[in-house]
Amino acid sequence: MRLLGKLWDGLVYLLLWAGGLTMLVPFFWMVATSLKAPGSVFDLPVELWPRELHLENYHRVLTAVPFGRWYLNSLIVALGLTFLNLTSGAMGGYAFARFRFRGQGALFLLFLATLMIPVHVLIIPLFILMRNLGWVDTYYALILPGLFDAFAIFLMRQHFLQLPRELEEAAIVDGATPWQIYWRVALPLAAPALATLGTFTFLAGWNSFLWPLIVTNSLEMRTLTVGLAVFQGQFSTEWTVLMAGLTLGTLPPILVFLLAQRYFIQGLTLGSLKG
Amino acid sequence: MRAYYRFPLLFLLPSLAGFLAFNLGPILLSLLLSFVSYDGLRPLSLETLREGWVGLENYRRLWEDPVFHKAFRNTLFYVGVAVPLEILLALLLALGLNRPWPGVRIVRTLYLLPAVTSVVAVGLLWRWVLNPTVGPVNLALRAVGGWLEALWRGVGLEAPGWVVWLATQGPGWLSDPAWAMWGVILASVWAGVGLRMLIFLAGLQSINREYLEAASLDGANAFQRFFYVTLPLLSPTVFLNVLLAMIGAFQVFGLVYTMTGGGPLDSTNVLMLYLYQKAFGVFPFEMGYASAIAWVLFLILFALTYLQWVLRRRWVLEEA
Repeated sequence: MRLLGKLWDGLVYLLLWAGGLTMLVPFFWMVATSLKAPGSVFDLPVELWPRELHLENYHRVLTAVPFGRWYLNSLIVALGLTFLNLTSGAMGGYAFARFRFRGQGALFLLFLATLMIPVHVLIIPLFILMRNLGWVDTYYALILPGLFDAFAIFLMRQHFLQLPRELEEAAIVDGATPWQIYWRVALPLAAPALATLGTFTFLAGWNSFLWPLIVTNSLEMRTLTVGLAVFQGQFSTEWTVLMAGLTLGTLPPILVFLLAQRYFIQGLTLGSLKG
Repeated sequence: MRAYYRFPLLFLLPSLAGFLAFNLGPILLSLLLSFVSYDGLRPLSLETLREGWVGLENYRRLWEDPVFHKAFRNTLFYVGVAVPLEILLALLLALGLNRPWPGVRIVRTLYLLPAVTSVVAVGLLWRWVLNPTVGPVNLALRAVGGWLEALWRGVGLEAPGWVVWLATQGPGWLSDPAWAMWGVILASVWAGVGLRMLIFLAGLQSINREYLEAASLDGANAFQRFFYVTLPLLSPTVFLNVLLAMIGAFQVFGLVYTMTGGGPLDSTNVLMLYLYQKAFGVFPFEMGYASAIAWVLFLILFALTYLQWVLRRRWVLEEA
């Protein structure tokens, strides 16, 4: 019986490993294709890994479209969203955790209720708003709507509630203003929560698609996801080039994830289990 | 002390401004727009709203719009297949990956990698992976087919038609209306299962091991422990995971946009894509009509969430 159990466990682990490696096949296929000779991808039998590596696909994707600019846009948008979200989220969360004011409960509930509103209800009027402001095709439109995020406020509030009040009270006794207390005492202590929220927002920003698709229309203002999606037709005869672009575009989120895995996972599980 | 607790306005200013300008305002405007015929070209003012006012006309048109009906059915099909598949697979994975064994952390990461990849990358990548002639999916299916064919020949029989089909051709995936939605589902399960697995893992790790040990001492075998101890204790996590997966799946857009654009023959057109096409994709733009689609979709989501919330009492174990 013991032996049977061990065998069963071994089989399960083997299956999980096999499944995990199977998950990598599409990534492997992406990189392999990006290194094949242009135009050779439909040759039969199919080469799993190219015998000669063709790096010119990478050169071509960098020159055929404003790939560098798209890359930069994605970086600016992801970082901008992260910065805004952390700033407003931490400040809002602090207000809800530490201040008492009239209508506080109702306002918090109203903020939380926006989590129920799916993004698709917002995009049409938001687009109209952006156009009336003359912000279509600018970084303002791409970044500024990230100013409010109920989830960020909720997460930061939870964190500030857990901070011992005594730390701030000591600062009050020393005559610090609320802003000084927030900036010098509470915020530095919130570093782990900020890292969680930051990793999460950066990845979401880098990967976002629907809003950047709607609110940009010039070649120069596209983010990487939108650029590749819109221009896939141009590449559909050049799969090697498209896969080179995808490889380059997939690299940053995967790197960020591998470096900050702990924070990312915290954000996910916190958001889903307590949210 | 008192001064410290006053003047929260400074701290609330950014989020409050964002909330009013980019959330509450647009929600109200969206509701208003769904009663208006608006092409998005004229600047929007009270005047335009009044001139274009059509009352419930947009909603009535939805009722008779065959493409909307098709998108509606496709969305239900997608949600109904992708979500259960994802949840079941994720639960099995989480159970296996919850125990310490060599390489377990690496394997967890492997399953999670697609979850940090953008839907655009997933969609474009899978278009290529599902290529009927040279994609790895059909290469593998053809290999399996060839192997089955040899098996049949080995026992001296002629292989049935589907084996021959598998060995020589395989599904046409995204170019075939009968298969296209399955292709999208395959990609979405690949991309989403790691996230669901992670949430199950977090739920499993919050279960007190003493319950399981007590059950073991009482002579419960592995299956009994799972169905009578683990699963009930995990039920709040299952509830939440199903709810979140469902809400996400109803709003599927990027995958469909990049993989098929809704085709062939609208076989993968979903509500979000149809909304996008109406508001931004196909001239003349119909932003009022698209807003009506948005609100119908919202009402469905709201009703389903509410229903699940009510039904929750029947099967979700509440922690004391």
